Amino acid sequence: MSESSVSVDLNPKALQLRQSLSKSFFRKGITVAILSGICYGLYSAFLTAAMSKGIWADWYGDNLAGLSAFVIVYMLGALGSAVNDTSSAIWCLLIAASKGKLGDFFRSIKTKPGAVMIVCALFGGPIASTAYVVALQMAGSIVIPITALCPAIGAILGRILFKQELNGRMIVGVIVCVSASILIGSTGMGGDAPDGMLLGCLIALIAAFGWGIEGCIAGYGTTLIDFEIGITIRQTTSGLTNLIILIPLLSLIAGDISIAPQIIIGAVSSAPAMLFFAISGFFAVYAYSLWYKGNSMCGAPLGMACNGAYSFWGPFFCWLLLGVFMGQDGWMLQPKAWIAAVLMFVGICLIAFNPLELFRKKEAVQNVGA
Amino acid sequence: MLALNFAILKHFTKVDEADADSVMATLSDRYSGFRAFKKKAVIEALMTASENGILDETRFELDENEELRVYYKANEYGLDMIRKYIQGDV
Repeated sequence: MSESSVSVDLNPKALQLRQSLSKSFFRKGITVAILSGICYGLYSAFLTAAMSKGIWADWYGDNLAGLSAFVIVYMLGALGSAVNDTSSAIWCLLIAASKGKLGDFFRSIKTKPGAVMIVCALFGGPIASTAYVVALQMAGSIVIPITALCPAIGAILGRILFKQELNGRMIVGVIVCVSASILIGSTGMGGDAPDGMLLGCLIALIAAFGWGIEGCIAGYGTTLIDFEIGITIRQTTSGLTNLIILIPLLSLIAGDISIAPQIIIGAVSSAPAMLFFAISGFFAVYAYSLWYKGNSMCGAPLGMACNGAYSFWGPFFCWLLLGVFMGQDGWMLQPKAWIAAVLMFVGICLIAFNPLELFRKKEAVQNVGA
Repeated sequence: MLALNFAILKHFTKVDEADADSVMATLSDRYSGFRAFKKKAVIEALMTASENGILDETRFELDENEELRVYYKANEYGLDMIRKYIQGDV
């Protein structure tokens, strides 16, 4: 908005109401963006818990089903992501129906912005989510701060694709993030550090790139499309693509197409795990939809920076749910890892926005009409 | 029939400027049955479009009921984007 072109009503009450409207919109945008990061942490924790329950406990434990190493490392990660996104898609459809937006979902999916959201779903779903779950299984919650690089990657891609700003402050932020990654790489986890930690961290980078691309494209798409319809398109596309295309494709690579129905049926009929998948799918709805909404309400840089706080919330809720409540070992991170996570968050903030802008924006809101 | 959010934005290709009330008055024939067709949601959609550079705020005033009315118009970028990506009519 060009403020100089706005015709200002000098009525004090009008000025006060206009100022109040801007303030509440800005506050809501930040609240929504921060909530998206908290929901992301909760979704990560419940997804990890789901993949340790019921049939998953056997697959990752005694393996009485006799699954191959390829299936266990790669296909189960993709399956976890597929079941989570499908669960999330069901929640999205229920929420859309309860808000009377189901008709708009079908009207939107056939349009160009709908197609943009489908492309987002493919980057963020089959590619990034699967990489994330595989990485989480291989290296534990330490991969969460690595995937938190996605706002940084989004800022860089935004510069390349949309000629967005990338100044000296942002470059310093990139260096801070890379330094934090090196610090994380040099840090083992408390207790039983997983053997595949390094490879898991590298796979986590694929997730970061996928979500960085998604952030760029979805930010563009949600300027036109309702965020709740956007997330419904994203989760239905992602869940179905994972279940119908990715899992069978990985089965073929594993050399036995019958593995796909075997593990899909095994997963969805495992009640103890599905209870946790239902919860993780619910939080995934808000992790992604509030991310989109936060970006569209307070601008992508600030929205992504607030969402990037999941580098704290992810390990925090994994430790709380899996470590404290479920008594699983290995979720306590060493202090160096926490310091690295904080450092990475600082770097992400530096890339995503100028901290001084926060104060300037507040000042601008206070001075509307002055 | 367009999705509600699309219809709100499409309206700005037909008028010079509009606020939430005038958008709702124009769309009420087709969209009044929508549960999401609420003034608060329309205001939020307009402010979001403004934040993302599709609409520009032109003026604000109090109406006869002492309620705030904020007016917007689609800028050149916004008009181009709406016409290119939102096809069809309400």
